[in-house]
Amino acid sequence: MSAPQATPKLATAPASPLTARIAAEFAGAGHGPDEPQRQRALAALTEVGLPTSRDENWKYVNLRPLDKVHFVPPSAEVRPVIKPADLPTAVGKSRYVFVDGVFDAALSSPSAQGGVTVTTGAADGGAVVAGGAGNGGAPAVGGVAAAHKGALAGDLRFALLNEAFATDGAQIHVARGTECKICVELVFVATTEAKAGASYPRVSFKVDANARVGLIERHVSIGSDANFINCAVDVEVARDASVQHYRVQQTGARAMWFDTLTAKLAENAKYQVHMVNLGALSARSTVNVQLLGERSEVGVFGASVGGKNQVHDTFALVDHIAPNARTDQSFRGIAGGRARVAFNGKVVVRKGAHGTDSSQSLRGLLAGTDAEIDVRPQLEIYTDDVKCNHGATAGKLDDNMLFYLLSRGLDRETALRLLKWAFLEDVVSKIEVPELRRQIEESLAGQLNESAALAASQDPLAAAPVGATMGASHTTHGQAGNGSPRIDDEQATPAQTEKR
Amino acid sequence: MLKIDNLHVAVGDNKVLNGLTLEVPTGEVHAIMGPNGSGKSTLAHVLAGRPGYTVTAGSITLDGKDLLALEPEERAHEGVFLGFQYPVEIPGVNNVYLLKAALNAARKHRGLPEVDAFEFLTLVREKMKLMKMDESFLSRGVNEGFSGGEKKRNEILQMLVLEPKLAVLDETDSGLDIDALKVVSNGVNTLRSPDRSVVLVTHYQRLLDYVVPDHVHVLVRGKIARSGDKTLALELEKRGYDWVIEEAA
Repeated sequence: MSAPQATPKLATAPASPLTARIAAEFAGAGHGPDEPQRQRALAALTEVGLPTSRDENWKYVNLRPLDKVHFVPPSAEVRPVIKPADLPTAVGKSRYVFVDGVFDAALSSPSAQGGVTVTTGAADGGAVVAGGAGNGGAPAVGGVAAAHKGALAGDLRFALLNEAFATDGAQIHVARGTECKICVELVFVATTEAKAGASYPRVSFKVDANARVGLIERHVSIGSDANFINCAVDVEVARDASVQHYRVQQTGARAMWFDTLTAKLAENAKYQVHMVNLGALSARSTVNVQLLGERSEVGVFGASVGGKNQVHDTFALVDHIAPNARTDQSFRGIAGGRARVAFNGKVVVRKGAHGTDSSQSLRGLLAGTDAEIDVRPQLEIYTDDVKCNHGATAGKLDDNMLFYLLSRGLDRETALRLLKWAFLEDVVSKIEVPELRRQIEESLAGQLNESAALAASQDPLAAAPVGATMGASHTTHGQAGNGSPRIDDEQATPAQTEKR
Repeated sequence: MLKIDNLHVAVGDNKVLNGLTLEVPTGEVHAIMGPNGSGKSTLAHVLAGRPGYTVTAGSITLDGKDLLALEPEERAHEGVFLGFQYPVEIPGVNNVYLLKAALNAARKHRGLPEVDAFEFLTLVREKMKLMKMDESFLSRGVNEGFSGGEKKRNEILQMLVLEPKLAVLDETDSGLDIDALKVVSNGVNTLRSPDRSVVLVTHYQRLLDYVVPDHVHVLVRGKIARSGDKTLALELEKRGYDWVIEEAA
């Protein structure tokens, strides 16, 4: 069996011009050989290189602007003054704020909670990157992964870049049996122009057995809206523990946001990650979930609203290693203006992962004639006795629904907004923290207003949906098609097996 | 008063209405009957402004106002209500939200403030009782998972809340069992008043036992072939449409 995609091939070629420049900036920032972990990350990055748009899984985000990024974090002196009022309203009791990747005590309001330990200044603490052999203070990854050689490490190239440069981060440890709906709220603020310095948010979230906890993670821009942000998050959920992880990306209009999330689940562990993408010029999330324990359960829920020239791209890989585990992937994306919204959901079922139950429902909505939706469910199954459903649709708003609302007197703009709202509802309704949900809904409403205005200027009744056929990739352009104007019903197919 | 004069409508190359002329004075209920494909539903949709129909000639006015110049939502503001033959399901938009938004849109047009939340709920509850609908309907998605009969009741509920000047009910009786038919008819009768007109599009005479029309019109090949009082419906029930079609030929 060949290991599917994910693991970057080890190149023997010399460093690319980009990684060569990264290495030079790294050396120029005064990182010496006394920082073995950074050095290792840099060496690995130099070897594998950063992705390029020739990479099948990286074709949506424009990677060329990386050439203009200054990869070293900015010095603290150049930061703008930030007032707490500039930040999103706090949710939960314990907030930690990081400015350009560095903990800011003045803006934070941590509050001690039994069983929850938050450590900052953690860059030296341990490798977040999975491939690394979990050294030092954060045994995070090594322990479980070592027991499962051959688990897909996922695409960690941007996480390596984070590991080489990150100067701070949050290490959160939740003790056995701890219960708190929202233990910690992390706010990562980027303030610097990409050409002047980079922001490296970094989180290690380790939850011990039987704990039931929630984490909020937000990304915003203040000052400059043209940041380079490269985020690395590592989550580990021990047996019988349950985690709700809320991630909200609302960075600036010209920001580049890269994100690598890895999660490992032990026996009977439950992990649900809610990813809301609203901001950035280009946002790319690479999610790698390993279901290592029997009966573990992961939910990957994404909502994305892009307008203007935004690109939102998520690649979510779930690797079923243990038997009887479950995956639930739901994505709802709306692309207006000239935006491109993509979700690539890949589920791999290993030999021995019998009893796997996986369901993928990926849906995109076109709200602009030049917009693009790419939703792509992928399944690779190497065992029998599995239940894998997937459905993917991309299309325009249903004309019949629109006419129904108009015939009741709703103005066109309100009707369009309402239908888009309804479209996102499946995913947004899974957010179980009322205050957070309210804030997200408010932001969504703002974003939808914009794209509604755009859509209304075209004729949405001359809509052209694109049907979805099973198993293929579903790409829909605004200009395409003349078919009947409704979003196809989601369909489920029996497991699709690709034997290798 | 609704005035339709010499209305010609095409769907693509297909001529559906061919010179339809009809007046429905305020306060009256008119039934439009006719065989399949005679243009009944087209008439209902054109009145509400559904896209996809091309009006090639003729006019429609409501109290002197040119309806054809108005967008669907503007027609609703002028008091036009279409009860759909196949009400659409809109998961994620809840019923009570739609009702309130629709009512407020109408009020805004009349220069009235938004409806008070308490008054609104009182009003809706009263109308729901009349339609024998359970309150749980309110929090459900619009028509989501409703049975055929529930959908039709929901249409009438919306109509009762919005109190239109002109109600056009497109085969509201189709798919209803006898109990539901009585409930729906009762709802329509509640709305009968000297200040509004009702156009009932129907296949069968059955509905007209409960909502007794002032006039009955038979549509054949896109125009009114025959008009009469309620006894015409009874005659059609007995003799079928063929004789009218023959007479029209």
